[in-house]
Amino acid sequence: MKRCDGQTRRDFIRVGGLTALGLGLGNFFSIERSLAAGNQTRAAAKSCILIWLDGGPSHLDTFDPKPDAPSEVRGPFASIPTNLPGIRLNEMLTRTAGMLDRVAIIRSMTSTLGEHNLGTQYLMTGYRPTPALEYPTIGATIAHVRAAQGVLPPYIAVPDLETRDRAPVGNGYLPASTSPFSLGSDPGRPDFKVRDLDFYEGLDLEHLDRRRQFVDALDNFSRAKDASATSGSDPDLERAYNLIASPDAKTAFDLSTEPAAVRERYGIDPRRGQANSNNIGQSCLLARRLVERGVGFVTVNNTGWDVHSDLLVYKGRSAGLPDEYALIPAFDRAFSALVGDLSDRGMLDETLVVAMGEFGRTPKINTQAGRDHWPNVFSVALAGGGVAGGQVIGSSDAFGEFPADRPVTPPDLAATIFTLLGINPKMELHTSDGRPIRVAPPGATVVSELIR
Amino acid sequence: MDAHSGKTRFLAVIALTALLSMTALAQDNRVATREIVDFDNDLMPVLTKAGCNAGACHGAAIGRGGLKLSLFGGSPDADYRAIVRELEGRRVNLTRPEESLVFLKSTGASPHGGGRRLEPDGDGARLLLEWIGQGASQVAGLRVEQLEVTPSRHVANAIGQSVTVRATATFSDGSTREVTSWTIFTAEDPSAVDVDPDRAVSTVLRRGRHIVTARYLGHVVPIELVVPLSDVAVHLADEPRSNFIDELILESLAMLRVPTSPFADDRAFMRRVTLDLTGRLPETNAVAEFVADPSTGKREALVDHLLASEAFNDYWTFELAKLLRIRNTRSRRAPAVEGGALAYHEWLRRQIREGVGYDQLVRTLITAIGDAGQYGPANFYRTVQGPGLQAEFMSEVFMGARLRCANCHNHPLDRWTQDDYHGLAAIFATVDSRTIVKLNPEGEVIHPGTGTPATARIPGDRFLVDGEADGRAALADWLTEGSNPYFAKAIVNRLWSTLMGRGLVEPLDDFRVTNPATHPALLDALADDFVEHGYDLRHTLRRIALSTTYARTANATPDNANDDRFYSHALRRRLEPEVLADAISDVLGVADRYGDEPEGTRAVALVDPATRSEALDILGRCARDASCDSSTGPGGMPRTLHLFNGPLLNRRIGAPSGRLDTLIAAGTSPIDIVAEFYLAALGRHPTADEQAFWNEQLDADPSAESQREIAPAESRREILESFVWSLLVSQEFVTNH
Repeated sequence: MKRCDGQTRRDFIRVGGLTALGLGLGNFFSIERSLAAGNQTRAAAKSCILIWLDGGPSHLDTFDPKPDAPSEVRGPFASIPTNLPGIRLNEMLTRTAGMLDRVAIIRSMTSTLGEHNLGTQYLMTGYRPTPALEYPTIGATIAHVRAAQGVLPPYIAVPDLETRDRAPVGNGYLPASTSPFSLGSDPGRPDFKVRDLDFYEGLDLEHLDRRRQFVDALDNFSRAKDASATSGSDPDLERAYNLIASPDAKTAFDLSTEPAAVRERYGIDPRRGQANSNNIGQSCLLARRLVERGVGFVTVNNTGWDVHSDLLVYKGRSAGLPDEYALIPAFDRAFSALVGDLSDRGMLDETLVVAMGEFGRTPKINTQAGRDHWPNVFSVALAGGGVAGGQVIGSSDAFGEFPADRPVTPPDLAATIFTLLGINPKMELHTSDGRPIRVAPPGATVVSELIR
Repeated sequence: MDAHSGKTRFLAVIALTALLSMTALAQDNRVATREIVDFDNDLMPVLTKAGCNAGACHGAAIGRGGLKLSLFGGSPDADYRAIVRELEGRRVNLTRPEESLVFLKSTGASPHGGGRRLEPDGDGARLLLEWIGQGASQVAGLRVEQLEVTPSRHVANAIGQSVTVRATATFSDGSTREVTSWTIFTAEDPSAVDVDPDRAVSTVLRRGRHIVTARYLGHVVPIELVVPLSDVAVHLADEPRSNFIDELILESLAMLRVPTSPFADDRAFMRRVTLDLTGRLPETNAVAEFVADPSTGKREALVDHLLASEAFNDYWTFELAKLLRIRNTRSRRAPAVEGGALAYHEWLRRQIREGVGYDQLVRTLITAIGDAGQYGPANFYRTVQGPGLQAEFMSEVFMGARLRCANCHNHPLDRWTQDDYHGLAAIFATVDSRTIVKLNPEGEVIHPGTGTPATARIPGDRFLVDGEADGRAALADWLTEGSNPYFAKAIVNRLWSTLMGRGLVEPLDDFRVTNPATHPALLDALADDFVEHGYDLRHTLRRIALSTTYARTANATPDNANDDRFYSHALRRRLEPEVLADAISDVLGVADRYGDEPEGTRAVALVDPATRSEALDILGRCARDASCDSSTGPGGMPRTLHLFNGPLLNRRIGAPSGRLDTLIAAGTSPIDIVAEFYLAALGRHPTADEQAFWNEQLDADPSAESQREIAPAESRREILESFVWSLLVSQEFVTNH
């Protein structure tokens, strides 16, 4: 339920009360021991880049190949060894295969929601969606809990958060100011530019300042009689104004200052923003520039993973011709470049990289040579930010149908991401009517072996 | 807050303790009027609740430990065979039931990967032994007819109170059985209601209205738990009411102890109702006339006038065009049709203008045949591609139901089955939806469960028989029958949402037993009233617009400020992107241009949502390639940046012969210009405080502050431009309230 009033009652942060009833006390976070007090956990990751593979990537054709399964499960692709003995990946993940010592893969993710919107909400918020309350995405929570660093928005979506069926993933019960700043333009384009950062002809900062003060005056007059309204200035206007006022912020978005070799390392689709081009490479590069400047959470939204027919499009977009900017090769290049680049710059320890979608795909190939939705088991890849790389956590069964061991749920994953980012998963935030809600659902268990 | 939640938990402890004894009582009272324990109807729920057929256990596609059961008991016959016949009958020992493997394993007496699932001396184990002892039967043809829960609604006086629910199943042979222990109870919002699954005890943790669902086999029943929002009773008996809407809304407010806000004044009412019925701001002179009119029936007269206007036809064509996703479509299967969207849009506008009943309108769509370029309704079959998506689209739009999940499996939480999904798809498979939409009787879809062509079916109702050549006619008959449980409710809920800011069922396309309306009786009454009045959209809109509920101010009082769904005050809602774009143009007196459309074309009148317009993109219009119900648009930072630095406002505020330019040229005093804009944008005059504020701003000389040389006339114009800009960005302008 969207509210019109924007900012709600000021939320304040509190340590979750540890009471005995109703809380799964069986699993207490190992991290908890080092928690002297408060919600800060450890020398935590400063930022998180979520590479969202929208539509639901096939676990069997990426991180969890089943080379020994019958062909209708195994699929059309081969698998390759990696630099982790005994661990194989899909043949297209060549670069990632060479750096698995820095990556952790969870092969036993399990969810119950096999529909795009519900699955997207579940994975992005950690909470099972309910009509009773909209939960914030992990990024919105980070934006809310962390003090913003400078004028750049604390949570940015590259290029936007438009998912397969337009899942309502936003600020949830948190103030509207925690919803992501969507760039709205494609970093893969040659003329990429965040629009409307430059003044309209004839205007300057002084005009803009006067205008926003006028809006505040109008809003205060009109809501004086409404007990549900909040006072104060429009946070949207304030943030936009501050961004426009800062020349430094603008350079953050300027990809042209990157050396050509770096841009090439992440991958530039020669279609450059035209129809069906894949912008994951330049989006990941932009994400790196943003976290370098203190942005706490960046979602890179890579669409097109809902492949119900013809799995060969993973490898080539037109007529099955291999194409290095088809879904999987382009992901492989961008993901490995991001992890490698962060590592080269000494930023990997402070930057958590997560690659996932809303569910996996059916183990058995369907009549259209594709795979349908399959939430029962799927894979997530994580690197940096305190993640203990070089391991595979959990496994799926012989045909990739269900977790064989160590099932990890979306709440568990959210709790783990929060922990890596230095936020106690039991920290409570408050809805506009004062209800305490934990950042991760009660009962969520941190995947402790994932944390170094 | 800490003390508060601590107290809650303390009360919960008391509740649980108190309930232990009550549960024992309930067990003693267990009545099984049918002697024979049946596998499908009695035992299966035990296995389900114990988790035996879950996906991680024997419900896995390849089973576990050699035993394979269907997921959540979807195929009882196969499960019966697996348990009773396989493994040479060792799983079930008819002569010595307690030596049956199914008993030994489930109670953990012999090694079992899943551990102990049933307590050896518990009800589940007892029922299992009873079933085996009676010969492990599967009673042919027996099924659950009804699941009844008592209470189905409970009003608690305070947070922390608990209620014990009893569930009773009625079977097709007339027998009943208490099934509380095997019914699965789930709180819709676990942070609001704590459900103890073993004892069927629900403890309310928060004020408000909450839902717990009870599920037994395929039957799902909601239980409503209410804790009033305040401890102080409210007296609403004397509140004015104009029709059944007000009776039901006031009844629920009284029960929830939420006081009402007062009524909106004439100006606020006029702006609100004009925006709701025509998508436009009221004309400034019409506002003055309306306020000056002393007659008592003037609100009725205004509503009738608006309902009869061309602006109403434009706006409600737009609203329904969004629902039907009218746009230029093209795909591999169905190439673009020249003029298709236009023909569709014109047809729809004609239906609205002529007041054609919604039942007739939908019947025409469902049975459409013809050239999509000429005959508008034929484009209904070109909106989405393929019979499966057509089934999803039809059910979402006309039934408010999401069939999607039933494509792959019978849904444990909803009533829709794979037979429903593929049966409905089978009806649409007989439509050839290329340029000329025509029947293709050979068309079929394969039911993934059987691997054979699906039998055409009215969802949730019946299979079609061979004689029914065009299943679409049967579908249309069923939908538009007065007793149809979905059709009228789905549309009146949308009308309600448009005028009231929130659907009685939310999301609008998610009608489900487990997602009941906030006011079920009101939804029923609105639907019945709609049907009785010939499915007339104007009738229901008029009903709502003339209710006293609609007439309340949007200003909350301190005592109802937290109410966002019980209608104690009007809800503020953002103007839709197209309506906002038109309102901006109207206030500025400068039209925007949309693609190659003629100058003066309004945004709500655009046929194709892909018509080029940066303004509509930035304001977040719905592209109509997916449902517009959940469309949020960009909003936020990009929108705000654009308002500051983009052309949407800046290009037009001071444009020659616009409202501002014209007023300045006519020598109107600055404070009168402010008043003119207030009237145009907000439908009201500035208050004394506002007047004082603007006088002060207009008198101040910004050149003094900024050390710049600006002639007074020019600086005043700048301030007026900034005033107009801020007016169009203010909350009061961008919302309907």
